[in-house]
Amino acid sequence: MTYARRAWIVLWKDLLVERRSKETLNALVFFSLLLLFVFQFTLGPDRERLTAVLPGLLWLGFVLAGLVGLGRTFLLERENDCWEGLLLAPGDKSAIYVGKLAANLVLMGLVEALVLALFTVFFNVDLGPALGGLVPVLALGTLGLAAAGTLFAAMTAHVRARELLFPVLLLPAQVPVLLGTVKATEALLAGAPLGTVGHWLQLLAAADAVYLVVGVLTFEFLLEG
Amino acid sequence: MLTQTLGWIAAVAVIAGVAVALGVAPREATQGNVQRIMYLHVPSVWVAYLAFVVTAVASAVYLRNRAAATDRLAHATTEVGVLFLGVNIATGSIWGKPTWGTWWAWDARLTSVSIVFILFLGALLLRRATEDPERAARSAAVLAIFGALNIYLVHQSVNWWRTLHQPPSLLKAGPAAMPGAILAPLLINFLALGLLAAYFVTRRVRVLAAEAEALA
Amino acid sequence: MADNWGYVLAAYALAALAFGGYWRRLARREHELRQIIAARGARRPQTPYAS
Repeated sequence: MTYARRAWIVLWKDLLVERRSKETLNALVFFSLLLLFVFQFTLGPDRERLTAVLPGLLWLGFVLAGLVGLGRTFLLERENDCWEGLLLAPGDKSAIYVGKLAANLVLMGLVEALVLALFTVFFNVDLGPALGGLVPVLALGTLGLAAAGTLFAAMTAHVRARELLFPVLLLPAQVPVLLGTVKATEALLAGAPLGTVGHWLQLLAAADAVYLVVGVLTFEFLLEG
Repeated sequence: MLTQTLGWIAAVAVIAGVAVALGVAPREATQGNVQRIMYLHVPSVWVAYLAFVVTAVASAVYLRNRAAATDRLAHATTEVGVLFLGVNIATGSIWGKPTWGTWWAWDARLTSVSIVFILFLGALLLRRATEDPERAARSAAVLAIFGALNIYLVHQSVNWWRTLHQPPSLLKAGPAAMPGAILAPLLINFLALGLLAAYFVTRRVRVLAAEAEALA
Repeated sequence: MADNWGYVLAAYALAALAFGGYWRRLARREHELRQIIAARGARRPQTPYAS
């Protein structure tokens, strides 16, 4: 069985489970709606302030949703005593990491699309012209978030205070990604062409590369025992 | 006892370093004597980052050879690095009050260092929160490697964040060019704090080994 | 303004406290552990054979 096939199986299994139970997706959708209402309550009437903080709010929404979703990456395996199943899987364990990462990307992609749509509708923001530039920023940012998040989820899977420790570990580690995405989004929403935020994109790409490589190389060590 | 000798050497070096910083080093032209905090502030971050490099290397080696001694080194250097980084942040804040007027400013260096501080503090928290000691060692090793590689990305991103939106009133905390009269005390204190850190690491490793033996 | 010597001393005092505190914690822990190991050694039964 090839590496890619094993990763695909993990991805397919997770997506199938999610499609049937919709547990994580429901939680994330309702969480996003809640964020939307909270932002509206605090900033709604002040249009200027809202547009100024919109990039930050957007990514705050993505990250917070990500924390909820990514933290649950290995929940199924732990709760249903399937951790040993992961250990006994044949071949390079990093295929599991890639599969889990892919599943997280799909999940986060769905949530981000939803949040973007909600923002456009409820905050009357016109994302049309900036959308072309936003997509690569979103893609790179989400990849960075998910790559680190999937790894950290495995790291904290057996910790008693997992819900507490996971965000504490992940958030400072995501600072480069957060800065890159927020700053790039800010510039793009203000109408700047994609070329002007090239350096942020480079940083995001570099961060993604580093996180992916570390993830693929070290995941198996987290999976033992 | 090697540790004790190292301790005495470190103590002498630190006293010498403080004497040089407070007495021998010249009074700086623009900032006045408050600039002397730099002789404590700057070497401590150098020492801390050096410690984290050792942590990262030891972590990688540990994942390879699984020797408890290597893990103890990684653990000790994480702790000592966090300690020195904490001192760096606190002294930076104290330095900032008279020079910038505030206890805290989101300048590039303070911000970056604070994030790295939290990163490696997290590694210590992870060790404590993971019940199985062997798993704790492995998880902390992975996190340390991740954190060490992230240090550059953090500094770079924060730098761009600050310098591309530089408020005009922000004072630069460190001198751009380093005259010899300032560089020499700086290096002396770097050596002194480095020796102190080495002593702490050695002693901490000993304590960790004793803990393993006592609680076995 | 007294050239802000107060801040300088505050910074050095803080460092002294931090480093001194860490040193004391190490010394105390070492002492504690040595006692535990010594106590265990004294209580260990004199059976030289495993079974």
